[in-house]
Amino acid sequence: MRARRAIAFAFAAFFLAACQANAPAPSRRYVALVSKTTTNAFWKYVYAGANVAATEYNLALTMDGPENEKNYVAQNKLVEKAVADGAEAIVFSAIDYNASAKTIQEAVKKGVKIIVIDSDVNSDQVSCRIGTDNYAAGCMAAKAAMGCEEGVLNIGIVNIDKNTENGQQREQGFRDEIAKDMRVAMVQTVNAMEGEEEALEKTKQLLLDYPGINVLVGLNEWTGLGISDAVEELGLAEKTLVVAFDNNVRCIRRLESGEVDALIVQNSFAMGYLGIESAYKLLKGGTLPERINTDITLITRENMYDEDCQKVLFMFD
Amino acid sequence: MKRRHRPELSLALIMSGMVVLIVVISIFLAFEIFMGLYENSMKESAITSSEQAIGQVAKTIAKYTDNISLIMEEIQNGISNGEEDFANLLDTRPDIVAITMYDESGRLTGCWAGEYELKKSVAKNLSYMEIPQGSRDLNISKPHIESLFVGEYPWVVTIAQDAMINSGEWVRISLDIRFSEIANYMDGVGIGQHGYCFIMDKEGNVIYHPKQQLLYFKVKEENTETLQLLADGSHTESNVIYTIRSLENCDWRIVGVCSVDEVITAKVRYTLRLLGALLLLVLLTASISGGVFARIFSNPVKILVKAMGKFEENAEEFQFTPVRGTSEVAALSDSFGHMVVNMQKLVERIRQEEVFLRKTELNALQSQINPHFLYNTLDSVSWMCEEGRNKDAAFMVNTLARLFRISISKGHDLIPIEKELQHAECYLQIQKFRYKNQFNYSIEADPECLSYYCNKIMLQPMIENAIYHGLDRMVDEGAILIRIFWEGKDIVMEVEDNGIGMTPQQCEDILQIERKERKVSGDQIGIGIKNVHDRIRIYFGEPYGIVIESEEDVGTKVIIRIPAIKEGEL
Repeated sequence: MRARRAIAFAFAAFFLAACQANAPAPSRRYVALVSKTTTNAFWKYVYAGANVAATEYNLALTMDGPENEKNYVAQNKLVEKAVADGAEAIVFSAIDYNASAKTIQEAVKKGVKIIVIDSDVNSDQVSCRIGTDNYAAGCMAAKAAMGCEEGVLNIGIVNIDKNTENGQQREQGFRDEIAKDMRVAMVQTVNAMEGEEEALEKTKQLLLDYPGINVLVGLNEWTGLGISDAVEELGLAEKTLVVAFDNNVRCIRRLESGEVDALIVQNSFAMGYLGIESAYKLLKGGTLPERINTDITLITRENMYDEDCQKVLFMFD
Repeated sequence: MKRRHRPELSLALIMSGMVVLIVVISIFLAFEIFMGLYENSMKESAITSSEQAIGQVAKTIAKYTDNISLIMEEIQNGISNGEEDFANLLDTRPDIVAITMYDESGRLTGCWAGEYELKKSVAKNLSYMEIPQGSRDLNISKPHIESLFVGEYPWVVTIAQDAMINSGEWVRISLDIRFSEIANYMDGVGIGQHGYCFIMDKEGNVIYHPKQQLLYFKVKEENTETLQLLADGSHTESNVIYTIRSLENCDWRIVGVCSVDEVITAKVRYTLRLLGALLLLVLLTASISGGVFARIFSNPVKILVKAMGKFEENAEEFQFTPVRGTSEVAALSDSFGHMVVNMQKLVERIRQEEVFLRKTELNALQSQINPHFLYNTLDSVSWMCEEGRNKDAAFMVNTLARLFRISISKGHDLIPIEKELQHAECYLQIQKFRYKNQFNYSIEADPECLSYYCNKIMLQPMIENAIYHGLDRMVDEGAILIRIFWEGKDIVMEVEDNGIGMTPQQCEDILQIERKERKVSGDQIGIGIKNVHDRIRIYFGEPYGIVIESEEDVGTKVIIRIPAIKEGEL
């Protein structure tokens, strides 16, 4: 009798366990992506990658960013809103290295996991940092700039906001690397904060102030665009070597037509994909490496139609 | 007894261990068999569904490529008819990005691309394919970027074929086809839960993959290098089923990928979880049942074992209380109970028989004393009567009567020492008459000893021995001294004579040698002493009995040691 009762008990327990195991999964987990802005191609690709990962891992995903890369206040508000909406993880790219630190700390305090992509924030609570090795990207830009055949290099840099971490890293890498070239006579930096038009204006001013400039470097997508606009406008394509970032179609066109001479293409799609995938892994209780570096590729007119470069340069849609 | 101290496995532990072991083994066996069957059937069904899906995909893609070759034919016909405008074609087929035409030297001679604006200078024309001149096959390129147009960079594949125009020259026609139609179709193909299919060419280049972007940006990988080597059909590699089928009209191959383990490992994990729960439960029930088992079986057995141990130590006084428990234990207990009772009965019977035997023997011994003495005494009395010594004869007969009265003592074995002493004195008096005062005797008895008991007729054989063997052959007047005194808690009776004495060897022989042997040797010395010694030993055991001290020509001292016994103590 005892044995029979024990068996019956065991079966009951299994059925309970089985029911529990077959219970429907809880509603989808919510991950928010807060970008620096929403308008340019870089972020379009990041979003595309994030979307693919969100579909693959069945996550609820919202993606948003301020209208330009100056407005860190709006960006902080977006983070706060995501936290308030119940995001379990936020994939974040900081406009301002320091100004968003407090907001991020607050979010972490509420149990939200933070994953940084592209540009870092001043916080030790970030679970994982994913993106380009910006210093190396700066070095790569410098090497492209050294391709200029002039005897003296007068270099103008158009960089983004001084408070943005990745821009500063890239400039540091660039300056450290370019210093190795004895031909360099001058390296001047201007900072544009709002976007393409400002970059265009700042470039024109720079060229006015220093007419000898023969190398122009834009350290992100829209500063590059601004520079190429200025070069086109002023007809300096022949005279000036332009190094820009990322694979905006306009930049690619200008690479072909000569206004731009080299592009440092970041793997923005992978940043988005890996950002969301990492968030998923974190929420599942997994561990992540402190940093994941995504690829950068130097694209020039010569190699842009190489098989591997095509894959990096042109979005498959 | 030592066995019990050795570390032993308790029965309950062994039982629970065995139950757990059996359950675990059977679960694992069942699990293995079930999983084996399950996995196989899952794999088979996965392969079947994968092959079906791939077959369908291949059919559709083949239809698409057939369609493309039809268009190609149409273009060729148009060209041979001198028609040189394919704008309409482009309108009806949105998947065709551009139609380009090249002369024999590879120079671009015609381009139709709808709205797209041809670049003024084309840095690198990716739509131009090197194919064997005059090839009538459908040559399909790897995916590439359309590099002919201003500001537009769609991914396309180029299909090229040579055609003869009226002038007899070869022209090469290239169709740039975008993936949209194939993509829409391929993205929708699912195999199992997470399976998908993609197109590669014979060299292992991915033509279209639902996750092309992930492949291009190196987020995902598809191991086409090994896949390219595989023949058509289904291949299972580390839980992934690849189903490959080549298209007939071009060098494309359709690859279906579905992972077995996604489906199966989920089930395995679930089953493992169940198994874990089951094992826990089994362990729990086993320990509980072990406890229960111990209570209902093991513990009673332990009690029984203890009882048996006690019985082993002291069988006679053991009291058995039946042990309660299961029918087996109860049966054991009952049997043991019966056995105890039987054994105790047996032991008791053996003891009684032994006592009876001894008593019989004693009686026989006692009755050995009399005949010669009686004959001699009656002879003496007869002589006295004849001589007219009536008074003496009367004393003699009275004394003899007293002697016999005491020796009978109503059949009691033990009599007070006082009586025994009287008995001895009667005997001495009679013998003194018979030996005509050849010896003297004296008695020194501690009065406190007299009320204690002793075996009857103990002193008489000693005295008899002293007279016959010690004094009889003496020339001088003999003397016999009887002493009774305390020595420690024991009472000692001594009969001492000053007769011829014995050698130490003789002394020893008297007490050692059995009667039977003595009869053979014909030596009659000390039969009585040996009898007394044996009787004391039977009654009181060691160290009581007789010790003889003797020296030749000096005398003999017989020492009898008995415990102090009061009436009714034995």
